[in-house]
Amino acid sequence: MAALPRRIIKETQRLMQEPVPGISAVPSETNARYFHVIVTGPEDSPFEGGLFKLELFLPEDYPMSAPKVRFITKIYHPNIDRLGRICLDILKDKWSPALQIRTVLLSIQALLSAPNPDDPLANDVAELWKVNESEAIRNAKEWTRRYAMDN
Amino acid sequence: MEQFESLLTCCVCLDRYRNPKLLPCQHSFCMEPCMDGLVDYVRRQVKCPECRAEHRIPYQGVQGFPTNVTLQRFLELHANIAGELPDPTAGQVMERCNVCSEKAYCAPCAHCDKKVCEDCKSAHMEVLRREIARINNQIRRGLNRLQDILGVVERNTINLQTNCGAVAGEVDEIHKRLAKALKDRTDFLRNEVDRYLATELRNLTNLKDNLELELSNIQSNCDLADKYMNDDVEWEDTELVDTKEIFLKTVEFLRNFDYEAGDYNRRVRFIMTHDPNQLVMHVASYGELNITQPNAYSSSMQQNQGLTRSKSDHRLASQFRQQEEAKGWQENDEPILGGRKFGERRPPPPEKHTRDYGATDDYSGYESEHRPARSRFRSRFVKSHLDNDSDSEQTSRATKSEQKEKEKEKVVDTEDATRGPLSGIFRLSDCPRVMQRILDVDSGKKKEKKEPPPPPPKPVQPAPQPRQRPPPAQRQQSEDDEISRLKRQNKGAAASSQEPERAPARPAEEERTPVNRKPPTPAREASSDGESDESVGSLQRNQRKNAPAPQKPVTTTRRPSATETPAPHRPAARAPSTESSASTESSGSAVKHTGAILSIAELKAKYSPSAPATTPGSRFSSAGNERTAPAATNGTAGGAQRVQSRFIGSQRPTPAPAPAEPVHEDSDTSSEEETDSSEESDEEPVTQRKPESQAMARSDIGPLLARSNNARNDAVENKAKESPSQSRYRTRQSSQTEEEPATRYSAGSSLSNRYGSKPREEEPPSSLDDETKYPTARSRYLALKERRNRLARSKSSHTGFGAGDDDDQDDPVSPTTASPSAYLAARYGSGTGGSELSRSRSSHALKSRESSPERPAPGEKDGAALSSWARYLKNKYGSRGKDRDPSSTSSSTSRRLSLGLPLRSANELASSDDDSKNAAGSPISPTAATAAVAGFAAAGSSPRSQYMQKRRLQFSVGSRGSEPGCFTWPRGIAVGPDNTMVVADSSNHRVQVFDSNGIFVKEFGQYGSGEGEFDCLAGVAVNRIGQYIIADRYNHRIQVFDPQGRFLRAFGSQGTGDGKFNYPWGITTDALGFIYVCDKENHRVQVFQSDGTFVGKFGSFGSKLGQLEHPHYIAVSSTNRVLVSDSNNHRIQVFDVNGRVLSSFGEEGSEDGQFKFPRGVAVDDQGYIVVADSGNNRIQIFHPDGAFLRAFGSWGSGDGEFKGLEGIAVMSGGNIIVCDRENHRVQVF
Repeated sequence: MAALPRRIIKETQRLMQEPVPGISAVPSETNARYFHVIVTGPEDSPFEGGLFKLELFLPEDYPMSAPKVRFITKIYHPNIDRLGRICLDILKDKWSPALQIRTVLLSIQALLSAPNPDDPLANDVAELWKVNESEAIRNAKEWTRRYAMDN
Repeated sequence: MEQFESLLTCCVCLDRYRNPKLLPCQHSFCMEPCMDGLVDYVRRQVKCPECRAEHRIPYQGVQGFPTNVTLQRFLELHANIAGELPDPTAGQVMERCNVCSEKAYCAPCAHCDKKVCEDCKSAHMEVLRREIARINNQIRRGLNRLQDILGVVERNTINLQTNCGAVAGEVDEIHKRLAKALKDRTDFLRNEVDRYLATELRNLTNLKDNLELELSNIQSNCDLADKYMNDDVEWEDTELVDTKEIFLKTVEFLRNFDYEAGDYNRRVRFIMTHDPNQLVMHVASYGELNITQPNAYSSSMQQNQGLTRSKSDHRLASQFRQQEEAKGWQENDEPILGGRKFGERRPPPPEKHTRDYGATDDYSGYESEHRPARSRFRSRFVKSHLDNDSDSEQTSRATKSEQKEKEKEKVVDTEDATRGPLSGIFRLSDCPRVMQRILDVDSGKKKEKKEPPPPPPKPVQPAPQPRQRPPPAQRQQSEDDEISRLKRQNKGAAASSQEPERAPARPAEEERTPVNRKPPTPAREASSDGESDESVGSLQRNQRKNAPAPQKPVTTTRRPSATETPAPHRPAARAPSTESSASTESSGSAVKHTGAILSIAELKAKYSPSAPATTPGSRFSSAGNERTAPAATNGTAGGAQRVQSRFIGSQRPTPAPAPAEPVHEDSDTSSEEETDSSEESDEEPVTQRKPESQAMARSDIGPLLARSNNARNDAVENKAKESPSQSRYRTRQSSQTEEEPATRYSAGSSLSNRYGSKPREEEPPSSLDDETKYPTARSRYLALKERRNRLARSKSSHTGFGAGDDDDQDDPVSPTTASPSAYLAARYGSGTGGSELSRSRSSHALKSRESSPERPAPGEKDGAALSSWARYLKNKYGSRGKDRDPSSTSSSTSRRLSLGLPLRSANELASSDDDSKNAAGSPISPTAATAAVAGFAAAGSSPRSQYMQKRRLQFSVGSRGSEPGCFTWPRGIAVGPDNTMVVADSSNHRVQVFDSNGIFVKEFGQYGSGEGEFDCLAGVAVNRIGQYIIADRYNHRIQVFDPQGRFLRAFGSQGTGDGKFNYPWGITTDALGFIYVCDKENHRVQVFQSDGTFVGKFGSFGSKLGQLEHPHYIAVSSTNRVLVSDSNNHRIQVFDVNGRVLSSFGEEGSEDGQFKFPRGVAVDDQGYIVVADSGNNRIQIFHPDGAFLRAFGSWGSGDGEFKGLEGIAVMSGGNIIVCDRENHRVQVF
């Protein structure tokens, strides 16, 4: 395995030294490019109080390409499908090397507080979100309680 | 500040900007790798990571974007304020790492020979470190091999000297014999001639007288007759008749007298039974040396290390190189490290300097190498101020590099000086780089600046030579750089404030370097100093003992070699004199013994008539002289005194010494003296050499060098030492030669002198018969013992040096001193007779040394060793074992003697004991030894002589096939009742039985896993009641068959538990019927009762003592020692029946006593061990104690050749039978 780029090391160090509130990202012991991430549900969102597990993987050409991030904890969110895949522009075409793990995670956290049902990934959820937001939010809360709180 | 910091940080690499490029959107990024990575090559665009603005890439690529000079200034400023270290990678160009293909600052890696990035490189270095650690472990484990070999070489040295000495002795002895025979015969012939001449002459004169008388008588008669026999005179008739009768008689006499006037010219003729020419020819070439080549290296080794590399040296060397190659410094170069110095970089690949350095990075390594001391904040963008290299600097640098060049040469020499002559390995710790490195570590100055000085730039070499390990990579000025810099200068681009700063900085740096390097420099100087000393004259150096550097631990193994090798070295040169005198003494009689086996009585009869000539007194006085002389030369008062007093003690009971009769004594005395002196001179070098070698060892160059020095000095020292001792010897010799004719040919008396004198010293005066009773062996032995005692004592009084101790220890225990001739008889068999006796002395000394390591600790030595010796004797002599008691006392007394215990009474007791024992003619006493030797020869029952003669194939049985009498891979073999041969015909899955002549008797078994069926059986054994016990290998079980070959029972199955097997191989039983199985893949031996009940197991996987790796075959001796061929450890291990390891012998190799995958092992009823040395395709025979006896056989399919030996067994008659697997036959020797 090639050695870890300096940037990743720096980022990791910084994540450890100055953690973002509400976000913890710990590199795997076996693979420094793989991070175990826990994001707290943002306040005033249906996900409040939940602890959402994510996995984050820095690909080989990071930072030139975006990290791969996926929710492990089930979440009811129009931009996150059942497999945990996230529909977020900065993880796709809007990726910029100037972004970092922390910014990505912050974006994800922001995504939780501001679902964007117009750019859905989970179509049924997005649909509900659009049609009956309160129901959707209730669902989201329900899911959060069910999947993101018991541990 | 933090914000300031972040402003200086590239948002892509999150690192400080390096070479920031400004995009049209006013965002800046490092050119490499950040901007580089942003490029969309397809669209030739770069998308700003900050604002996502897309910009076309200029024609020159991202380089074409303007550099953000402001930012760069800020960076500089910041670095200045923060006092940051200069960026080590400044001025370098990023390349793709050849390993991870990441773009990074790459540097050549010595590990993979590619340009790789820092990370990969450190990973590689880590790998290297791990590998080194691993290999180091291997080396450590393998090191004892070297030590073993060292031991073998030392042993061989001694062997060789012994051998040569003995041969020289033989030659001398033959010479004397021939000369004596010639002389005797000549004298005899002369006497005969003389006597014949005398008698003949007497006869002739007699005849002449008679004839003259006759003549005158007859003449007068005639005259008288003429004158008076006429008529003038009156004659009576009777008178006339008588006259006539007389005259008639005269006539008759004259007529008849016929003198046989034979040819007196050729009356006596000298006729030779042989053609004289031929005889001369025979004599002229009366013997030649048969030198077996394989051992040649031992001699070449001791001559001059490293100077001559004989073939065998190479063999050795290559062995070690193989080991060393694994070390990974360099794969396959002949000179280690491919001729480079340690730590030096390999010459860079040629394409390196063809690379385009581009316009901006023209500083490259040059800059960093000569980085000024104060401009530590210099950062990468300083490269915009390029024109800082003035010519003066270059010249100064040139001189500096010259200096370094010189330094480097010295360095090379230091390494060379310690280079091992065989492997080319030098001591790493002698390497200046290593020294420095260690010093750095020690002094805790691991700062990069204090790294060892970079390898000096070679002015001619165009290629850059970056130094990697110290982060400030130091590069050489390349031409490219030079050119581009000049260009820049011409352009006058950005001449900067930096320049003046740099100029003064340089002297500062130079000032600083000596200071910084202070710790290392003296060391280097010391080493180079020592090295130059060394090169000037190592000898001087040694004598001066000015070891300049820190003390190094002396490896204990080397010391003895350095000190000991010269010691045996000496007698080699002198051996002819000592040995010949010794051998002549003994051979004078001993040779006579061998012709016809003479009893003691006969000997006595033979020598006693001539004995009376000598008086005991004279002998003593002469002996006294001889004693004191060497003692005086010895130089140690203590030793001398003790020797003398000891002598006086034994002398006491004798009457006052009569005046000496030197003529008779001389042959004895002189020869004694000679041997003494030679032995003394043995010692001298030892003691003298010792401090020297110590001093040497203390020197910084280290023991290795010391050793080579020693080797080199040997010659000189020997020469120096030779001269005094030689002169001593010469005078002695001259005196000897003067007297020699007198003594030698008055054979009787001098002989009795010789033989008698020694024993007399130790016994009270007795009848002359008594003294003549002792033939040579005895006297030799006593002389020897005496001398050894003296020697041991004087040695111990010297310094207590190792050799002395060694001898001390040898004496008490060694079986040989107790009865050397018995031992000798054992060792040499009867073949060579008397002259061998002389050899025994040295050989037994050697022998005792050999076996000494195996002996128990000094404390228990007495009992244990003696008892083992007792066993040995019992083995050897069987019923005569009870005669051992006296010898045990004698050996213990001899030990006491040798230890110089001041127990005079004990001494006397001992000597009298000795004598009485001798008089009784105990079989162990040397007296009987000759007879015993002869006896062995006559009876032909000596296993040793038998083994010694083994080589010729008696017959072989079988060929490939599955018919009766044919084999397919025979493996195990055993001897059954009536000397039947029981062969495990492995791949025919059957057991075949042959009678002792190889005639097929029966077979049983077939393929399968049922009862009585086999699957590739391996071992066979036959127990006391004739049952066959078979290791059924692939069925993982043992089967037992009755003597008719009917299945009785089976036990075991596959597994690792008790009573389970994993490919059981060899099998054997002991006298009590216990079954021992080599459980090969479980690396253990299991023991069962004859009914298959598990009794015990021993051994586990490993190579330590008592551990086993693929034990193949096993044998149990009559003394209940269990011998296991520990095949993959290349040794034979000896256990007791309880699985306690007793000893082990052999190691991997092809020399005598070494093995390669030994398989079959057998032990005869007397404890001799026969090993099928499978990998070497030979059979080796060992003494019961594991000492090598002999080896024979080689690879091949002819008679006496082997391809893959398997089981081996010894028949009761001594025949060795062995399974020759790949030849599918059994050979009998």
